[in-house]
Amino acid sequence: MDKIARIDMGAAGGPKVTVGGLGDYAGLGGRAMTSLMVAAEVHPLAHPLGAENKLVISPGMLSGTTGSMTGRLSVGCKSPLTGTIKESNAGGQAAQVLARLGYAAVVLEGKPATDDIYKIYINKDGIQVIMDNSLKLMNNYPVIEKLRKEYGDKVAYMSIGSAGERKLLSASIACTDPELRPTRHCGRGGVGAVMGAKGIKAIILDDAGMKMRPPKDPEKYRDANRKFVEGLRKHPVTGEGLPAYGTNVLTNVLNEAGGYPTNNFKSGQFAKASDLSGETQAALEISRGGNATHGCHRGCVIQCSGIYNDKDGNYVTKQPEYETVWSHGGHCGISNLDTVAKLDYMDDNIGVDTIEMGVTIGVAMDAGLAEFGDDAGAIRLMEEVEKGTPLGRVLGSGAAITGKVFGVERVPVVKDQALPAYDPRAVQGIGVTYATTTQGADHTAGYAIATNILKVGGDVDPLKTEGQIELSRNLQIATAAIDSTGMCLFIAFAIMDQPETFQALLDMLGSFHGIEMTGDDVVALGKKVLSAERDFNTRAGFTKHHDRLPRFFYNEPIAPHNQTFMMKDEELDEVFNW
Amino acid sequence: METLVKQPATDQTTIRPLEKRLALQLAPDRLNAFFPLLQRGVTVPAIMGCSLRSLLCDQFAIPSDYVTDRITTIFINNRPLDDLDTTIIEDGLRVTLSAAMPGLVGATMRRGGFYAALRQGISHVGSNRQTADEMGVVRLKLFNLLLPELGPLILARGLLLEQDELDELLMRLPELSLHNPNGTGRTHLSATFGE
Ligand code: SF4
Repeated sequence: MDKIARIDMGAAGGPKVTVGGLGDYAGLGGRAMTSLMVAAEVHPLAHPLGAENKLVISPGMLSGTTGSMTGRLSVGCKSPLTGTIKESNAGGQAAQVLARLGYAAVVLEGKPATDDIYKIYINKDGIQVIMDNSLKLMNNYPVIEKLRKEYGDKVAYMSIGSAGERKLLSASIACTDPELRPTRHCGRGGVGAVMGAKGIKAIILDDAGMKMRPPKDPEKYRDANRKFVEGLRKHPVTGEGLPAYGTNVLTNVLNEAGGYPTNNFKSGQFAKASDLSGETQAALEISRGGNATHGCHRGCVIQCSGIYNDKDGNYVTKQPEYETVWSHGGHCGISNLDTVAKLDYMDDNIGVDTIEMGVTIGVAMDAGLAEFGDDAGAIRLMEEVEKGTPLGRVLGSGAAITGKVFGVERVPVVKDQALPAYDPRAVQGIGVTYATTTQGADHTAGYAIATNILKVGGDVDPLKTEGQIELSRNLQIATAAIDSTGMCLFIAFAIMDQPETFQALLDMLGSFHGIEMTGDDVVALGKKVLSAERDFNTRAGFTKHHDRLPRFFYNEPIAPHNQTFMMKDEELDEVFNW
Repeated sequence: METLVKQPATDQTTIRPLEKRLALQLAPDRLNAFFPLLQRGVTVPAIMGCSLRSLLCDQFAIPSDYVTDRITTIFINNRPLDDLDTTIIEDGLRVTLSAAMPGLVGATMRRGGFYAALRQGISHVGSNRQTADEMGVVRLKLFNLLLPELGPLILARGLLLEQDELDELLMRLPELSLHNPNGTGRTHLSATFGE
């Protein structure tokens, strides 16, 4: 990964490719690359869909190596949904292939003068930008089918569906999985709309003739990777729970805790949650000849994903994740897994974020566009998005816009991005991260639960309010660092509980680059990323008043605990005070 | 009167209202027919007044290192619990058992975990209240990895099923040819699994 490609889509005479060295971005990858580049190069007041915005695509620091779990791809830009800086990442094969091709980043710049659309083909010989208007307004599954006829099955694809071309604010960028299905999405923040605004429909990544990236110290790297994999395999979450049930194993637990937002955040429990649970889902998948244990990219040893078939054994979609099952399920009062799977397929195909879309449908239900629990109504609303009708364009632009258009007061967003599947009134500490993250409400922003090992900022007493603020800060720092490595965040449990597994991760990073890595280095990287993101947001006009949850969380107690969100504003303001 | 049913049943057996006990011997692969009920919650007879640890280890006969290492997430009446010893079993208590969960929220719910503070507003607070050690029931839920691991133990010990719960279960075990047309009230059901 010793080069950066810049593709100016607005160049006179057509798209222009420039490949250069790493310069100031040497050693970066993933979220560190995308956020530092966007912060340095994008005007903070740029229109997110305009020529001044850039879409930075970057594999993680360890992507393209033999290391396990290293296949996350980061995409960064100024978000059209939130107006903040945005990093959105996904699994699939793209990161590994792009890294092996030697690119630390591919940057889409400028804006095309016409409404032609292009595909980008990258192989060992270079980069071609090819106009292909035959792909116009195709959705992800058919577009990949069409491209496979031309480029075959030994490549990785990235694409946008019709939502991205229409520049809808919930539009995602799809990455293909090992079976070449467009199931892994950089979903959050409308990054697909930015790709659409650049006129890029698809990117084909072909690493034929390229080798794995070699570590500086191969023996140490191999040894560290072996210990890392051992650690993941022996931990009950990464070695058993996630492979058996996927992330949807959380449905029962969140519902039991009263933190499962139901019917657009009106209750913390859903009476039919067990119909949607990971346990029920895995049993159904297996009984239909699907698969409850599947990796989204080669080299994943956790394999939290799966294959969801219909009752006749035909493929419907990949195993919907917890957040998807919640957003299309309990949030909308829907308890039928087949309906959720169909909506998940539609999300992936049209190319929209499953969280944003599901939350939006719940808000639309509150507006009376369908009843809660109306499966057919939810599908009908998604069809509007697919067709690009005026109503569909409103819905596809997310929960905040839909709430405004239809006069709904209870709109669960922070910085206009929809909240994920955990009610902050039940789990107050999560609300701190939702409110203050640089990304808009985001459950993964404070996910990397390794802070007790990292001891960021020293030991804290988590039983004090300051402790919760400190924890949220530390979680966000650790997450920013892990998002930069290319590692899937689901490693977090094993590295939290098993110091030797965390050490193995540090040794992988160190031996790859031929340096000694310590926990302090990880903390420094995370802080650097967050500081740059925060600074960009400040320059874009965001203040502490944007670091708040919607008022209904403070005013409406939620069953069964009848609690409101009680964190004080001054406490929230302390999160980024380092 | 106890009805003992071995799988596969050859004749149709009808449970009459007075036959309140049902003991099943099933093939191991039929265990998963009980999972929907177990994750929604079942009524389990138990002696009241003891600690939760005693309920799990002494009454349910779960090995204590399993309780310590494997049952890492517990809810009492929807409240995540940290201390097994200060929770006293009372009639009607809802007890939910789960293995370790992923993600920050999973870590937050973990018993005595580093992140327990993030949910301190809803945590279960134990009591030293003394209650008589008489028979009662708890509403027990099993989640995820604990379904296949603890399910056989709980089912062998026996549980009380309402009519609709039994009807649903029998639908999942069609090979037994059992039905419950006139069933009323609760049935004490136990099940063992083996070849
Ligand atoms: S654990 Fe899940 S999300 Fe992470 S890399 Fe594996 S399959 Fe993908």
